[in-house]
Amino acid sequence: MADLTIDERRRRLARLLVGFGANVQPGQTVMVGGDIDDRELVRAVASECYLAGARFVELNYFDLHLKRARIEFGGDDSIGYATTWSYDQARAAAAEKWAIISLSGGTDPSVLAGLDPDRLGRDNSPVNTEWLKAVSEQLVNWTVGPSPSPVWAAVVHPDLEPDAALELLWSEVERVCRLDEDDPVASWEQRMGDMVATAGRINDHRFDSLHFQGPGTDLEVGLLPSSRFISGGSKTADGIPHRPNVPSEEAFTTPDPTRVNGEVRATRPLDVGGTVLRGLRVRFEDGRAVAIDADQGAEVLRARTAIDDGGVRLGEVALVDGESRIGQLGTVFYETLLDENAACHIALGQGFDYCVSGEDVGRINASQIHIDFMIGDDDVDVTGVTGGGDRVPVLRGGAWQV
Amino acid sequence: MDDLLTERLAELAVGFGANVQADQIVMVIAELGREPLARAVAAAAYRAGARYVDVTYTDAFVRRAKIEHAGDEAIGYAPPWHVERMKQMGEQRVAVISLEAALDPAATDGLDPVRLGADQSPVRQAYLRLVMERLINWCIIACPTPEWAARVHPDLPVDQAYELLSQEIARVCRLDEDDPVAAWQTRFDRLTEISERLARHRFDAIHFSGDGTDLTVGLLPSGEWACATFTTAEGIPHHPNLPTEEVFTTPDPRRTEGVVRSTKPLNVEGTLVTGLTVRFEGGRAVAIDADGGAELLRGRASRDDGASMLGELALVDGEGRIGALDTVFYSTLIDENAASHIALGSGLGHLIKEERDKHQVNSSSIHIDFMIGSPEIDVDGVNDDGTYVPVLRGGEWQI
Repeated sequence: MADLTIDERRRRLARLLVGFGANVQPGQTVMVGGDIDDRELVRAVASECYLAGARFVELNYFDLHLKRARIEFGGDDSIGYATTWSYDQARAAAAEKWAIISLSGGTDPSVLAGLDPDRLGRDNSPVNTEWLKAVSEQLVNWTVGPSPSPVWAAVVHPDLEPDAALELLWSEVERVCRLDEDDPVASWEQRMGDMVATAGRINDHRFDSLHFQGPGTDLEVGLLPSSRFISGGSKTADGIPHRPNVPSEEAFTTPDPTRVNGEVRATRPLDVGGTVLRGLRVRFEDGRAVAIDADQGAEVLRARTAIDDGGVRLGEVALVDGESRIGQLGTVFYETLLDENAACHIALGQGFDYCVSGEDVGRINASQIHIDFMIGDDDVDVTGVTGGGDRVPVLRGGAWQV
Repeated sequence: MDDLLTERLAELAVGFGANVQADQIVMVIAELGREPLARAVAAAAYRAGARYVDVTYTDAFVRRAKIEHAGDEAIGYAPPWHVERMKQMGEQRVAVISLEAALDPAATDGLDPVRLGADQSPVRQAYLRLVMERLINWCIIACPTPEWAARVHPDLPVDQAYELLSQEIARVCRLDEDDPVAAWQTRFDRLTEISERLARHRFDAIHFSGDGTDLTVGLLPSGEWACATFTTAEGIPHHPNLPTEEVFTTPDPRRTEGVVRSTKPLNVEGTLVTGLTVRFEGGRAVAIDADGGAELLRGRASRDDGASMLGELALVDGEGRIGALDTVFYSTLIDENAASHIALGSGLGHLIKEERDKHQVNSSSIHIDFMIGSPEIDVDGVNDDGTYVPVLRGGEWQI
């Protein structure tokens, strides 16, 4: 890709996100969200949206410095506040069936340095519930894709010169998004086809729970009777296929929020709203995270998960094998979109109702938050446990056993 | 602009311009590239007790993508919730601070002027209603950017141009004073005195003459003169333009006659209209000509019934700091305060005292100011009996 101009590289990534990722339809309103550092890619995405026949591109630029101003100087009422019209925006997205393209990249950790972790943790927009609802009711065709920026490159490759760091990050993003293939979409269809087949075989076992075992981890995650692993693409209720994450290497479902027990150690750092958590350890009892510890940043996750009843329970469990291009790179991106596809993970907070059916829909976890963290690695075994107590190896050394 | 000046500018916008109240929601509207001031305004607003600061970043390059690539049905469209947002902003009495700078010409160069002219969303109209009904305390403040500086001072390297523009803006915003708010208060006292004198004359019309201009602008019988100090319907005083040097009124849209030549280039959303000449008959702009950019302005002026008639008439003296700099800023906010000007489009209903005159005030979805004054242009008040009273000569008040 290095022989292409940066504009051409952006255009290729933008086209993948607009066409394959969100699958923007003629006449749609498309919300494009990104950090203000992502402006060049936002513009490329907007161009591709209009070329695809979008009626309106709604910009949603995010500036971490504004969050800093609020945490630093705002009154208590300002923390976690949302305007009435921001609810209307989310409801319009659901009612008018928008497409949503979110660009994601690591942010500059120094912007939020030194702020009160409790205020930071509570500064979570309540409108997220509306957006998660639009997603879980499959009213929007959406995707999240990576946006390489100088700030992110400096976080991922701090030892390199800025230009070299950005170039390396770009080439890594192109690798994991399969933009180094002649036909990226065909390559994705192949990989996602394999993953869908694997998810189908896991579903055939009708596991009652999954058991994760490895250094510092001994965790049992109960599944609901109808929990179904999903991989690759989604479809809106109206039948528009889209790929929620580009790249995506996971098979995921929503677990039983009342049956999670044991200890788990995160295998990668994670970024929570601009704060990096390292060495995270969580203990679960009867579904609830009863102890959250970390070498760094635990307070932010504690405050964030205390936001509502479902904040300490699981909404997602996801399996990732060693074929993942992200896992193969071995790079820590400090960015959930990529890092979660490097390894198996679980998420605290909101579940996905489309992963279950019947009366289980009312049993999935509900919360304003959804925070993924990585718990898988080559030395973490994943075993399926059936209702009869049979133990079936699922992942060993990163390879599928099913 | 260094951090300290940026912070002083932000404090002026929050404390004196919009006059943000405790517990208010503050909307900040900023084009990308203006984030240093947007962030400083957010911090200043929270320090002033704002409940929440909602910063909307706009991106002229995304607009460019629309004009270039979108289908016709996308032009002029905005999702209905954008209009709903304006209504709620009015109901909730929010404060609005807009950061003003000239756009990067690369964002608009070569775009189809017809599509550009037609791309005006209904949101603008909804916003103008908030202003007209005085529901919001608002302020537009100048925001120096490197792109703007390159436009204003094209002969300088961009960092020097930016430094110079920053100093000029600090100067015209009176940030070089120990107490900028006190300096502004003194200037507003003077402008208020002039507007009261103009009001006492009860002129039937104002006449501009000289340098290719011979224009009579009829006034409404109960029209008042004002300077840019506003009070919301609920009594919050605010200063909607920083900087400002003008005294203005809303004229009789049916009684504008003659020819006017603009004395400074006009920047219409990034497109420059130069050498503009407009001929008015029976209140309407019947001929719009220019050396460049005439089509865009014609497109705007034919947008609705009121778009070809006047909504504002403003006088600027030679004491203002902007005219003295003799810099063309390519920004109406500043340039209009260097010179007397008129505006096509919506009028300011609150400047009319008598109910019977109110319906005469021009109504339109546009409001485009252009500069027609200079020290060479004489301004006279016309009495009911047709006699003339000198108002401005060589930039000095005669009343």
